Amino acid sequence: MVNLTGVENKNINSYKIKSFGQSEKADSSKDNKTKKESQSHQDNIILHNKTIFSPVKNTAKIQGNRLINAFTKYPIKGFKGSKNANFYEFLTMGTVPYLIGSGMLMAVFTAASKFFDTPSAQKSLKVNKKVALGVAAYGVMKTISKKFIQIPVKLVRGVDENLAYEKKIYELPEKGNEDNLISKEYHKIFESVDFPRWDLLYGDSYYGKERTAFYNKIAKKYGFKDEELEQADQKVKPKIKETLIKTKLFSTLSSYIWAATGVGIAMQKPFENVIFNPKTRLNQYKNYRETYTPFLKEFGEALVKSCKEFVNNSSKSARIAGRTLLGCAVGLTLLGNFLSIKDFNKDKGSKTHASTSLIDESKEKVMC
Amino acid sequence: MGNVLNSIIINKNVNNTRAGIKKPVFTIDTTGKVKPKEDKAKLLPSRIFGSPVEYVKDLKQDVVNIGRAAKGKANDHELGRINDLAMKLGSLGLAAYLAVKNPLKMSKAMEFVGFTTFFTSMALWPKLTIQAPLKARTGVDIHQKYIDSQGRKKMLYQDPQYVLTDLYSKEDLEKIGDKLGVNKNLPDRDNFIKQRAQKTALQGNTLWMMTAGFATPLMSALMCNRLEKPVNYLIEKLNLRTSQNAFDNNGLYQGFLDKLKQRIANARFNKFISKNMNKPLNTEMVSQLSEEIAGRANSAVYKDAVAQNLSALRKAFTIDNDFVINAVKAKIPASSIEAMNSVQKEALESAIKEGSLSKIAKILAQTTAGGRRQETQKLENTILKLLKRAEATNSQATVGDFANELKSLFEISFDFTTRKNVLDRFISERVGDKSGSYIANQWDRVGNQLMKALKLKGRDLKALSEGNVDLLNDRLISLAHGSNYDSTVEKLMNLINQYEETTGEKSFIQKVQNGAKRICKEVQNNLLKIPEFAGITDVISSEAQKGTLENTINQFAQERVQGAASSFYRLIQTLDLYKRIEQGSIKQQLEELLSKQGQSIEPEKVARLIQACKDIMLKATTTDHVEKLTTTGFNLSKEEYKIVMEVLFGDKAGETIKSALNSSETGPKIMNGFMNYLNSFKENVINWKNGMTPDIQRRVLKDAPNSSNSAIRNNLVGKSIKDYVKDFAQQRSNSLKWLKIFGISMAVLTGVTLAAGLLIGRKSKIEQQAEEESKVNG
Repeated sequence: MVNLTGVENKNINSYKIKSFGQSEKADSSKDNKTKKESQSHQDNIILHNKTIFSPVKNTAKIQGNRLINAFTKYPIKGFKGSKNANFYEFLTMGTVPYLIGSGMLMAVFTAASKFFDTPSAQKSLKVNKKVALGVAAYGVMKTISKKFIQIPVKLVRGVDENLAYEKKIYELPEKGNEDNLISKEYHKIFESVDFPRWDLLYGDSYYGKERTAFYNKIAKKYGFKDEELEQADQKVKPKIKETLIKTKLFSTLSSYIWAATGVGIAMQKPFENVIFNPKTRLNQYKNYRETYTPFLKEFGEALVKSCKEFVNNSSKSARIAGRTLLGCAVGLTLLGNFLSIKDFNKDKGSKTHASTSLIDESKEKVMC
Repeated sequence: MGNVLNSIIINKNVNNTRAGIKKPVFTIDTTGKVKPKEDKAKLLPSRIFGSPVEYVKDLKQDVVNIGRAAKGKANDHELGRINDLAMKLGSLGLAAYLAVKNPLKMSKAMEFVGFTTFFTSMALWPKLTIQAPLKARTGVDIHQKYIDSQGRKKMLYQDPQYVLTDLYSKEDLEKIGDKLGVNKNLPDRDNFIKQRAQKTALQGNTLWMMTAGFATPLMSALMCNRLEKPVNYLIEKLNLRTSQNAFDNNGLYQGFLDKLKQRIANARFNKFISKNMNKPLNTEMVSQLSEEIAGRANSAVYKDAVAQNLSALRKAFTIDNDFVINAVKAKIPASSIEAMNSVQKEALESAIKEGSLSKIAKILAQTTAGGRRQETQKLENTILKLLKRAEATNSQATVGDFANELKSLFEISFDFTTRKNVLDRFISERVGDKSGSYIANQWDRVGNQLMKALKLKGRDLKALSEGNVDLLNDRLISLAHGSNYDSTVEKLMNLINQYEETTGEKSFIQKVQNGAKRICKEVQNNLLKIPEFAGITDVISSEAQKGTLENTINQFAQERVQGAASSFYRLIQTLDLYKRIEQGSIKQQLEELLSKQGQSIEPEKVARLIQACKDIMLKATTTDHVEKLTTTGFNLSKEEYKIVMEVLFGDKAGETIKSALNSSETGPKIMNGFMNYLNSFKENVINWKNGMTPDIQRRVLKDAPNSSNSAIRNNLVGKSIKDYVKDFAQQRSNSLKWLKIFGISMAVLTGVTLAAGLLIGRKSKIEQQAEEESKVNG
């Protein structure tokens, strides 16, 4: 590739996201310090599989950052009507009603019961436990279940829907002439199926020396032979898109059914007898072995029994309903895996790109 | 791209003379070229509530999009919409599962109500508290939608960095500007309006995100709470109507599903018979067959009758009796036989012939009483084995011998069961001891009025919910005092009138009796066509015999109606008691009765019996009465029991009410009802005459004390006053506490949100500066 910028190990795509001013600044920089600065202006892929702990560490970092900002920085910007507020921040703030809503849902069932008379409080406690657990199960199952499709797709096709990158935003001055206003956002390379960040996947040394190493790797996973790897990026991009759309569709559809299944399991009788008592347990955190080991064992046993009750309920109708719900969840997951992984256009080439593109590439364009 | 442009621009004529700047003129040859697509984006009408037609259209499009996405052809917008649809579908699936799992119709319905209210709240909250007030005040619809050139519906202000304010017409923009109070003299006013609109929407959307989490569950729960009664009412009406229709059709109407069910059931039973054709009609098979044939009937009487008849068939074919008798005898120790008298020996032989293990064991247990239980047990086991071997080795009846008769019996039973279920449902929806039955709802409805009649309010209810019986006692003392008494009796009387009018108890009982007679007669006639099973008819209906199926059905309905009415009359009776205590007539009567029995008249004893009378009225259940009040809490001796019953249900009972009811038009009717209640109570409970079938006695005496089976506890005397008031108070008190906590929370949240909305859309500093500048410039 022709090095247009004079900066080593950089590709032209990385400049597409920059403002002209910043590019010029990078172009005019000559010393190493400036080079480093200019490099740090790029959006960076956060690789998940550098070490065994990377996925956990990175996820914690990203989610922690998003969560804190969702409750603090973004609402402040929003309430001020900041000119720098953007759609990412709006979407990230979506976590707030999700989490608060879950807590409120638990509270609506549990908060008043301590004021009830003893028999009613005891009765409601049984229901409350299950509801609170159901709310938690909903969130957990919704999150985990997406992996049931995403992981096989990643293993077979190499397309990691969750591949994240750190995006630097150069903000406009709010009041006067402040400069160097930079904020970080955590996006996913494939969060948009219309505009994936293809550029970040070029020339990344993690995947190999070649500029299109990532695409070569994916092409091999799609069955291209070594001699067919010329312009592999152009060949696999439509295929990746197609896989992404299907993965997103089925992981979304199945995740809500799995979430419903999780709630269904939480609503079974065995959980009525589990003593949660979170306050006391938190106070006794120093004796965590004595406190949590028996609890986890009790909880695990209740979970196993509840799963069994969910599919083998003594009531015929509940049994059929439970099995249907579970069947739908499993069925959608399997179907999602099959359709996402199977390359239906292996011989004829994918039609996805042409069909979703807004521009007909077969015709000449006029700019006016 | 540069090359393309160069090739297009064929004549560039730019006059850059210093004398004056002219616009550059480009001549473009567009022959054979394709122009960019025309901009078709437009704003949609600004509405707070969307149209249902649009909703259905969008839904249809979402379904189409799923199909496209499954082929790998969707875009971001479509995938985003699919997420919303999936969330609703998942929640609907969950509601359906929970509804199926829940046995009560009301709870089933509430699962769907919960689902609907949750999504409604999610949509309504921002509309009512943020979008509508902001639109009214500033003219900015923060949820303004537009259609882009590709026909996709989007929110105009979703992305603050990409707001297509150009889509607003000049007039609309002016309107917004006027409402926002943007200075009319500002140069570039439109731009300021757009900026303010954008800022307002951003602030509004942030407020939405920050409050939705609190508001949606709260609003949804409150809506569910408010909808509970109407939903219950609708379900009750629906149940009454459907059960009435089915009853009127005599259960003859069979829809497609009913016919299908019958066909499936017949096929299943025929398969069962074919599979077991050659199997002996032994005890185990009799049990299996009776379950198959009569299991659905929900009647122990019918099922037992079928089992007995099947056993009789088996005996007709069985067996080599001598073999069994000799074998059993050989195993019984000589000492046991020797210890028997002649009657016992005969009984043993007859039991062995019958093959009745329980009878054999009973006889042996009598003769081997004492510490020889183990020996008897051992013997029982040996005999059981012998009987089985005898059954297996000797010729006896097989299922195949009666295959056709059994199939006919199944068909008759299935038809009978279907009709009986219709009748059972007709009864249960009206007077059943279940949540949501008409009688239960009616009690709930009069509950408030009843509490008013007893002058029990907020704090009293709280104390009563915690079981404070003293408060109830004090209140009854005050209600029995002076003019309070007449007015309270009148109020209660009105409630009874109201209750009986709406329940229509007489016509209901008549209907049940006719219905029971009809289906029982029909099944009897059908059964008589199969001589082998004609014996079953005896237990279905018989004028001479009590405890028949027909009697059981009628009795249940009567008990329930009586129980509910008794609850009112019991209140009146209790007031009468308190009045008589106040007048001193109870004390006098007790002293007379004690002296008649030759007992000493100690003041403590009289006081204790007066207290016992109060306690019985307030707390005693049917079980306590059937146990002659020897149960915990009463502990009355036989003599005391007689005295107390005479005081409460004797000739003097209700004498203070007569005078209170005299002035009323409906007084005689109520008094008549009251006297019927007293007499019926005496007959059914105190004297145990008629009506108390062995079955009810067993249930009352054995099942009820150890269980919370309120059907049995309350059928005859109704719920005890203490229990009723306590349950009502608990329910009301809990409901009020819940409503107080979350109602106030919701009100505060709404207030804060509306107040915060007032701070939204203010002028920016730049705008203020521009205004000042424009003033200065004139």
